[in-house]
Amino acid sequence: MLPYPALPVAVPLLIAALLSGLRKWLPRWVADALAILTAAACLLFSSMLVVLSRDHNIIYWFGNWAPRGHMALGIGFEVSPVGAGLAALAALLTLLALMYSWRAIESGLNLYQPLMLIFLAAMSGFALTADLFNLFVFFELMSTAAFALCGLKVSEPAPLQGAFNFAITNTVGAFFILTGIALVYAATGALNMAQIGLQIGSRHDSLVAVACTFLISGFLIKAAIVPFHFWLPDAHSVAPTPVCVLFSGLMVELGAYAVLRISIVLFGDAVSPPLAPMRIPLLVLGSLSVIWCGLMCFAQHHLKRILAFSTISHAGAMLIGVAIGTPVAVTGWLLYLFSHAMAKGGLFFLAGILLHRLRSMSEPVLHARGRPLRFTALLWLAGGFALIGFPPFGIGDGEDLIAASIHTHGLEIWVSFLFFFTGALTAGAVFRVFLRVFLGLGEKGPSDRASQIGEVPEDKEEEQKVPARLFIPALICILLSAAPEAIAHSKDALLFVVNRFVSQTAYIHAIYGQPFALPAAHLPATAGLARDLAALAFAVLIASAAVFRKRLPRALRLATHLEGRFFHFRRIQSGHPGDYVVWAMVGFVFVGGCLYLLS
Amino acid sequence: MTAFLHIYPYLIAGWIFLCGLYGIATSKHLVHMVISLAVMQTSTYVLLLNIGYRVHGAAPVFVGVSPGTVTVDPVVQALMLTDIVVEATIMALMLAMADRAHDRAGTLSPDDLRMMRG
Repeated sequence: MLPYPALPVAVPLLIAALLSGLRKWLPRWVADALAILTAAACLLFSSMLVVLSRDHNIIYWFGNWAPRGHMALGIGFEVSPVGAGLAALAALLTLLALMYSWRAIESGLNLYQPLMLIFLAAMSGFALTADLFNLFVFFELMSTAAFALCGLKVSEPAPLQGAFNFAITNTVGAFFILTGIALVYAATGALNMAQIGLQIGSRHDSLVAVACTFLISGFLIKAAIVPFHFWLPDAHSVAPTPVCVLFSGLMVELGAYAVLRISIVLFGDAVSPPLAPMRIPLLVLGSLSVIWCGLMCFAQHHLKRILAFSTISHAGAMLIGVAIGTPVAVTGWLLYLFSHAMAKGGLFFLAGILLHRLRSMSEPVLHARGRPLRFTALLWLAGGFALIGFPPFGIGDGEDLIAASIHTHGLEIWVSFLFFFTGALTAGAVFRVFLRVFLGLGEKGPSDRASQIGEVPEDKEEEQKVPARLFIPALICILLSAAPEAIAHSKDALLFVVNRFVSQTAYIHAIYGQPFALPAAHLPATAGLARDLAALAFAVLIASAAVFRKRLPRALRLATHLEGRFFHFRRIQSGHPGDYVVWAMVGFVFVGGCLYLLS
Repeated sequence: MTAFLHIYPYLIAGWIFLCGLYGIATSKHLVHMVISLAVMQTSTYVLLLNIGYRVHGAAPVFVGVSPGTVTVDPVVQALMLTDIVVEATIMALMLAMADRAHDRAGTLSPDDLRMMRG
């Protein structure tokens, strides 16, 4: 059998080894060009896998260790179009990030390019693997590359501190996952996910519940869901811009992907159907993330921190789709994921342009200095619209599908409110920055300690205009954020493959090579324009209320409260990784308590 | 007594996990924090060894052994070895970061290194 399913993982790893071995002798542009070519090749391989696996999942056993009977000892990849699509998205984002950093970003003696390729390989492997322990290894590989990339600018204390907090919290998450894997192995004697699903079946006891709690909590740390999220703003505010794009665009969402994968394939019959006990903690934590980090997002004054908190708020909204878990909801989740990755990637690239030109990330310092950057301003505004999901941007489509897949009336209203809230507050913060920085309206606005995190600009040359290599990735991102709407039948095609993805039986049958036919799913009628319009109106309202607060009567200065000084809750984000780990334990106890009490 | 002996290693693993957690939560020193993380990791070793243990099991070397001999589970040992390798990398990376932080900021206390509050 041809080893093509392994290409998106093997090729970047090999090139990374080559690049790091030769890094002292390779000129910068050769290393950059090789890395870009590799990312483009990965994009090609993964897209090819999406096409090839459209009708049947591709199973690939390393070393031809195919299962005997039900015993799957070998390590395998199960390529579903969803997994391959995520690998393709990883390659696309890496390609754009490497284009952005072409010959400019401080690369630590050409260590940056191999680290990016390892990161890409780990994300692809994470999306494709069918083995639980292999999933953990890719998780760790992804984390290690991410820690190093986050602390790439070792000449300053802030990146080191952010990377350290990130590393401590995520490594604790890795121990949660490893403990969960050990308990699953104790219960089933298997590591292949399909075989575990088969063995656990409908068995439901305390060992399965504890294992499930450990696994879900560990991946929720990666998914940056409240209260597991504290590492993310620290890591994002100091990481180099192209790395932020990968963190926010895909790494965080892959945590939610693992939660979905595990709850369907491993515990599909035991804990999930119809995902009932799992649904409550995920819905509660997702709602908390939307509200808490929506408020925190509007309270920030450091551009990358604004975007970081907005990522958590959107990750919470996406977790709602994962919690519902029906084919329609997961289709919505994927649309949301893609459009959000593109919108957030674009906004991070634009923040990077501001850092490049104006040498600061602090909103009060940047006040009115963005006036000459007209195209950047236009794209930034479009990015705000994309975060709301205002047509033609795709986040709105995803939200509509998730909302339409809920059949309980009260829950549907609550979820629609959450989507309104995350769009309104995160876009409100983006519009506020637009008004202050690009239009120079109002006065400087409040400052805070976190907004003064010194950041050495990532590249040395001082240019008078924005070079194309910075601008083009941002433009591509914002345009692609509207792509799901532009491609006809994209939702039907997605629903067709997702239908297979969310079925535990289909997954297990595919691993053992048995044919299995699923009933087709159909798209429901959706309506969400009213919500998008309301979110847009509210976002514009709070943004202008914040900017023009001096002209408002005292009683109406709500946005001032939202915006900072009075927001005492911000102290919970303490900057001490010990506190973050304690909060993660609180979340762990909550998830475990829910699973124990509800099952 | 047998029931207690059966559950005893799990209690040890849980205890070590909580010790490491306490260390991280109260840490005043970055190197101390990394060591606490290593302590926490040890709990997963105890857990894995316990899961793979078979009463009177031999070492999992299958040369010159008759089929059907009871051995301890080699899979968990492979998991543990992989985990040791991965975590050694992460510990080394974190210690290097702590070292650099000491160079740049002149302190190793996480309380002094808190520019990212709020």
